Amino acid sequence: MVEFLQFLVPGILIGGVYALLASGLGLIFGVMRVVNFAQADFMMLAMYLSWALFAGGFGLDPFLAVPAVFVVFLLLGMAAHWLFIRFVIGRRENHDAQVILTIGLGLIFQNLILIRYSSEPRVVAPSYANAGDFIGDIFISRVRLYAFLLSVLVAALLFLFLNRSRTGRAIRAASENWEAATYMGIDIDRTNRIAFGVGVALTAVGGSALVTFQSITPFVGFRFVVVMFAAVVLGGLGSVSGAFVGGVLIGIIQSVSQVWTSAAVKNVWVFALFLLILYVRPNGLFGKVQRAI
Amino acid sequence: MRRIIPFVVLIAVVAALNGWLDQRFYVRVLTLSVVWALAGVAWNLMAKAGQISLGHSAFVGIGAYGFTLLLRGGGTSPWTGMVIGMGVAAAVALVIGLPTFRLRGFYFTLATISFPLIMELLVSHYGDPELTVPFHPENEWRFMEFSDSHTYVWVGLGMLVVALAISELIDVTAFGFALRAIRDNEVLARAVGIRTVAWKSAAFMISAALSAAMAVLWVKAVLRVTVAEEVFGITVVIVMLSVAFVGGVGQTWGPVVGAAFLIPLAMFLDDSIGESVPGAQELVYAAALVLVALLIPRGILPAIEKGCRRLATWPHPSLEQAGPGLLGRLVAPPPRPSPLLRTPRRPLRPRLSQPSDAPVLEVDGVAKSFGANRVLSDVSFSVDPGRRVGIIGPNGAGKTTLFNIMTAHLRADAGRILFKGVQVDRMRAPRRYELGMSRTFQVPQGFHLMSPLDNVIVAAIGASMPDPVAASMAMLERVGLAGKALAELSALTTAEIKSLELARAMVSDPDLLLLDEPLAGLNEAERARFFETVDELVAPHTAIVVIEHSVRSLIQYVESVVALDEGLVIAQGPPEDVVSNPRVIEAYLGSRWMEHARDQ
Repeated sequence: MVEFLQFLVPGILIGGVYALLASGLGLIFGVMRVVNFAQADFMMLAMYLSWALFAGGFGLDPFLAVPAVFVVFLLLGMAAHWLFIRFVIGRRENHDAQVILTIGLGLIFQNLILIRYSSEPRVVAPSYANAGDFIGDIFISRVRLYAFLLSVLVAALLFLFLNRSRTGRAIRAASENWEAATYMGIDIDRTNRIAFGVGVALTAVGGSALVTFQSITPFVGFRFVVVMFAAVVLGGLGSVSGAFVGGVLIGIIQSVSQVWTSAAVKNVWVFALFLLILYVRPNGLFGKVQRAI
Repeated sequence: MRRIIPFVVLIAVVAALNGWLDQRFYVRVLTLSVVWALAGVAWNLMAKAGQISLGHSAFVGIGAYGFTLLLRGGGTSPWTGMVIGMGVAAAVALVIGLPTFRLRGFYFTLATISFPLIMELLVSHYGDPELTVPFHPENEWRFMEFSDSHTYVWVGLGMLVVALAISELIDVTAFGFALRAIRDNEVLARAVGIRTVAWKSAAFMISAALSAAMAVLWVKAVLRVTVAEEVFGITVVIVMLSVAFVGGVGQTWGPVVGAAFLIPLAMFLDDSIGESVPGAQELVYAAALVLVALLIPRGILPAIEKGCRRLATWPHPSLEQAGPGLLGRLVAPPPRPSPLLRTPRRPLRPRLSQPSDAPVLEVDGVAKSFGANRVLSDVSFSVDPGRRVGIIGPNGAGKTTLFNIMTAHLRADAGRILFKGVQVDRMRAPRRYELGMSRTFQVPQGFHLMSPLDNVIVAAIGASMPDPVAASMAMLERVGLAGKALAELSALTTAEIKSLELARAMVSDPDLLLLDEPLAGLNEAERARFFETVDELVAPHTAIVVIEHSVRSLIQYVESVVALDEGLVIAQGPPEDVVSNPRVIEAYLGSRWMEHARDQ
């Protein structure tokens, strides 16, 4: 039992971060029906920014750098939408273009970072990196706890933004029915741009929550692509709150699987669960049945 | 002839280069260009059905590991290993594909991502992350161990030509028509008898097998070591995507053009600046993907074809007005159905040529709820052969739900539907069509990337007709569209699209025709004309069920009416009886109006 809890608690903690990563992807899909394959590479860029702010002379603590990361990636996401994404939104014929455009953008990010910083793994180690507390027999890492608390805080702010602000409500309206939203006087292009920016920024913040215990390489995104997709599909494609629950579940499954199998294959369980959900409940655990036409 | 020329050009160019180049690096560039062209052709087979796979490295990995393990274990020839690997890859493709092929949208793409990742993790952890391929110089051909590196190019060229021939063959047969129909409009494809799951599975299996074959050549000719991270890696998929999308997605010759352009570019760049710029190759592929997505989403070949078409008909804007010029005929002849077009030999359905007394359609106690909302309760009626039945009811009466249950888009909670005495309520749409049930759509549907003739041919193929081309042409003549048989669909007027839809629905000579609000969007004169056209086309045995909101036009046409309100049949019988039934009037006009009328 103690062994199980020793995996369950870190699973919940990392799951909170996955939830944050996935909520950005889920928000973007929900609003503009674009599966952003570059999402994990925005996360990677955010990790490098956190690393640069920490190791590049400023010595800025990665958790304190979060507001800066959020603003930078909000703007970067809006720029990416304005420069690229807006041209492939909409009609069904654009599906192919969306897939290859976002894959291409992600690859460009990876290789530009590779050229600039090489593939050497980077580490962000603040003074408390190895600190932790025992609650009973269970060890709780300080950085993972902070990362979890940060994710919960950002989730609460996201909830307030989507439900209370005018822009947030426009985003929700657009994700429910963008055609009706345009009739209500919502500027869909602006809403998409902001949603893309916020979606990218959420994942970026998730990335900077990771840096204290995840080494950074140009290709670190690969480890998280399917984790994010699994969380989003588990919670129902396009649902932000679903993505949140999905993220926590994925974290738990990934961590608890180590009770039975080696840590090296923990992601096999995640990928297998992802497939199972796609096959058995393609609309997610709480999803509604799609209309026939 | 036109299809042979590209093969001759390809073989001549590769042969000339292979004879002329002798520096090792150049031969390597040529080899890899051929290898990736082959991989792209394999990947593209799936794209013909509009399915984007991000998991083809699973099949490449299976091919590479399969032959390496067999060669190491028992000295099995790589050729035998290749055949076994192809078989395993095809079987795995079926397992990956089947569960998602019933779904549309992004699900297939998402599902394909995780397979190579799972395989790589399992192979690296429980197997060998790296396997050297043993050296067998004793028999060059048996062990694919050529001392002259040019021989690998010849072998690769042979494999590429075979793959291209398979792709071309698919294009000109019913297989290709089915895949294009699926890519264009999957709902419609199923409604005209295309078994989408079976065709997609077949394409995916062939595509997987060819990918596994390519892997053997890639490892033997270039890599020499089978590394899990490399053969199962995402880069394999990136290169496949790039060569296919740059050349032309879904186009047989697209990947050849894409590979000829991208592979040398990436390799020369890597050779000159790769030392200082480690990601140069990948940047070439990434930039190509982004540029294609933004500028020419269908790729180079279709863009060239479009340009030539425009040039060929200059100064006229379209083929319909001028017909192709000489240049146009050469580079972009109008699409013509192939003489090779044969449909799969299946027994034709039992015909109802003689009107019999047994009803053609029996709806028996059908009920349907969405959550707590009961939309249909205990709906029963029957339709005799050759009869015309109308289903009416105010908004929300359940007409569309009933129609969707009859056309297999929804499944009833209770009750049965018998068609020609066969219970069909568990049958999917393609099977119902094959049995002789045909339909139109409220919003007319078409395959927009195909000519009107091809639109009808798909429906003829779906019904396994012996000569689909002739039958379709005859049908187009009957609806007055013969002159536009090869036009673009966008050049047709709304009325012509409706005629095309009727031609498509009637080409299989169905026993039951289901019309979904056919009068929507037509004016008074067109409404009268519409039913005349239907009567000209239907055979005496064909029964017609019309769902229609406009009662007045309908009751002049049908012989009996079923009136629905709030999911219940409130009246059925001859039109004049039903429309004078007080319950029907009440349903349409509301009870308050009825009270008002009674007071008067």
